Amino acid sequence: MNYFPDEVVEHVFDFVTSHKDRNAISLVCKSWYKIERYSRQKVFIGNCYATNPERLLRRFPCLKSLTLKGKPHFADFNLVPHEWGGFVQPWIEALARSRVGLEELRLKRMVVTDESLELLSRSFVNFKSLVLVSCEGFTTDGLASIAANCRHLRDLDLQENEIDDHRGQWLSCFPDTCTTLVTLNFACLEGETNLVALERLVARSPNLKSLKLNRAVPLDALARLMSCAPQMVDLGVGSYENDPDSESYLKLQAAIKKCTSLRSLSGFLEAAPHCLSAFHPICHNLTSLNLSYAAEIHGSHLIKLIQHCKKLQRLWILDSIGDKGLEVVASTCKELQELRVFPSDLVGGGNTAVTEEGLVAISAGCPKLHSILYFCQQMTNAALVTVAKNCPNFIRFRLCILEPNKPDHVTSQPLDEGFGAIVKACKNLRRLSLSGLLTDQVFLYIGMYANQLEMLSIAFAGDTDKGMLYVLNGCKKMKKLEIRDSPFGDTALLADVSKYETMRSLWMSSCEVTLSGCKRLAEKAPWLNVEIINETDNNRMEENGHEGRQKVDKLYLYRTVVGTRMDAPPFVWIL
Amino acid sequence: MEKEGLGLEITELRLGLPGRDVAEKMMKKRAFTEMIMTSSGSSSDQCESGVVSFGGDVEKVNDSPAAKSQVVGWPPVCSYRRKNSCKDASTTKVGIGYVKVSMDGVPYLRKMDLGSSQGYDDLAFALDKLFGIRGIGVALKDGDNCEYVTIYEDKDGDWMLAGDVPWGMFIESCKRLRIMKRSDATGFGLQPRGVDE
Repeated sequence: MNYFPDEVVEHVFDFVTSHKDRNAISLVCKSWYKIERYSRQKVFIGNCYATNPERLLRRFPCLKSLTLKGKPHFADFNLVPHEWGGFVQPWIEALARSRVGLEELRLKRMVVTDESLELLSRSFVNFKSLVLVSCEGFTTDGLASIAANCRHLRDLDLQENEIDDHRGQWLSCFPDTCTTLVTLNFACLEGETNLVALERLVARSPNLKSLKLNRAVPLDALARLMSCAPQMVDLGVGSYENDPDSESYLKLQAAIKKCTSLRSLSGFLEAAPHCLSAFHPICHNLTSLNLSYAAEIHGSHLIKLIQHCKKLQRLWILDSIGDKGLEVVASTCKELQELRVFPSDLVGGGNTAVTEEGLVAISAGCPKLHSILYFCQQMTNAALVTVAKNCPNFIRFRLCILEPNKPDHVTSQPLDEGFGAIVKACKNLRRLSLSGLLTDQVFLYIGMYANQLEMLSIAFAGDTDKGMLYVLNGCKKMKKLEIRDSPFGDTALLADVSKYETMRSLWMSSCEVTLSGCKRLAEKAPWLNVEIINETDNNRMEENGHEGRQKVDKLYLYRTVVGTRMDAPPFVWIL
Repeated sequence: MEKEGLGLEITELRLGLPGRDVAEKMMKKRAFTEMIMTSSGSSSDQCESGVVSFGGDVEKVNDSPAAKSQVVGWPPVCSYRRKNSCKDASTTKVGIGYVKVSMDGVPYLRKMDLGSSQGYDDLAFALDKLFGIRGIGVALKDGDNCEYVTIYEDKDGDWMLAGDVPWGMFIESCKRLRIMKRSDATGFGLQPRGVDE
């Protein structure tokens, strides 16, 4: 390769797109490092505090697309205080100052403000694509800036964000000259939507392929929207209310029939189940169906819909589908690759919605299944062993038994053997979430067999430090380890400090680690940020006089090349 | 439970009260029920005493499903999904969610847990602390004589002046808080005092 001029090498590199591969290329030699960095257009930063904007820009001056992730995963479950950090503002300011030709920004679990969005919208002439997932801190005013100022906007994709809806006119801020939209997802907005502005926007966007509406868009508007966008590929239905008038419904049926490109359906935030039949004509084309927010769709209407979806690859559903419903999925959806079954009853009414039987049925019927997230009431080792035999191709296996510490409901044994069978059989397993009654034994299995495991989530599991040590010693590819309410302490934490350099982050909450253990770790590893999140009385940890032995409530540590961050709130101690 | 036979059990770290029989299968379950005694799961005292005080409330050990749901962040369903699966606002407990607090002139929204305040005085103090500005609290106590006015959006979507109704009624109906400059408040469309929900 060194015989070729740089441009040729660069051209070859153009075909290498995955971040992992490009990172590997840049390590081969200095010349490749140089060529690679000037030609890298897409950069992924899994932890925004692992580096800083200045270093990013120094290394990749030709950057066009940036992906940033902020808060740790357990922030999704209210375990991280809102003020913890993950602010995008300094990144946007730095990118704006540097005049880099940013075209795409993808953020996850970050704090975004209207000010940030306004600055973003004004700073990059070719900005095309904004994807915000689980972010917060902004309002529809910020969206208005994006709409108004980004002349070539292609994607505005808002997934599960907390957006303060000022019920303003952000949709009408798209100028009449804006005809480039491909993706428009505002399903997470709670306020009213200017339907006229929306319809006109959709009508002048011939490239619009993905449209996800919020609950304020009623059925008659949906009919009109679908009529002028038959090229739609991905549709999120907002409100699908009861008793539509027959004219609207007929219009909707006609419009749906024309949408022969429709492959993905979601939403139904408020739904009249008997109207679902309007979608039956296009179901045979669907590859993705997300009904996980459609609490009102269940029973026979749901089953009938699914029976039409023979090509489904991805299904997100509520557990109200029941084991019987999952058996229908297993016999219908032979192409299924990804299944997520969410709990419909979070307050705990104890409805036995889905059990191990549904999981076994799916594993038997869907040979291509590689990703599963399954919330259920009960599980057995035997079922997991069967699932492992049926589906050795799992890449992601996340099982959440709703009651913590629940054993095998038939044998009353821990579920070590069941999960052990999964990790032994699934040689490509990259992500695993455990639940139920588990001893150190399951971690022995994980350490022994889960060679490709990159992310592991542990809750209410294990007996001693040995459990955590098995994982740290055995899983060579571990990147993200998150543990809550498990009896792992300083011994495990400190056993191999250099391990954390190979990982993105470690989260431990309500475990047995102490303040002095964390301090010792921080001393040994200056290239780690060791953060203690202490939301209760700040002074209590030191007042008691047993300072060192005081248990740490929440520990979050991550490797970084830029040292202690400056934006931590007072209740976060960085050791 | 594998025993090493070397008498190392005494050095093993466990979650649970000291002096328990380690072979007991129910130990883990008990550890969990201790967990649910602290609604935030944050106190490190839980291993030293059987009953924990948090914010002055002592909750009984209770195996009912309602008690189980009080463990923070369990089941691991993201907060966005939780909020959107509870269609009825009244089923959302104050202890589980936070309310947003905005203050005019401050570009960030804040969030606070109303359930951790005991009354309007406490709330006043908490708001002062949240924004680092003294004087918000005064607004709650001494309505007419200060720069700020504290209003809240209730379940019906109406903006109300904070401080009129009994505390219990307030935290049940408050969806979000806003601290406005008094000068901006006139003509905002507040419901007049004395109008009930």
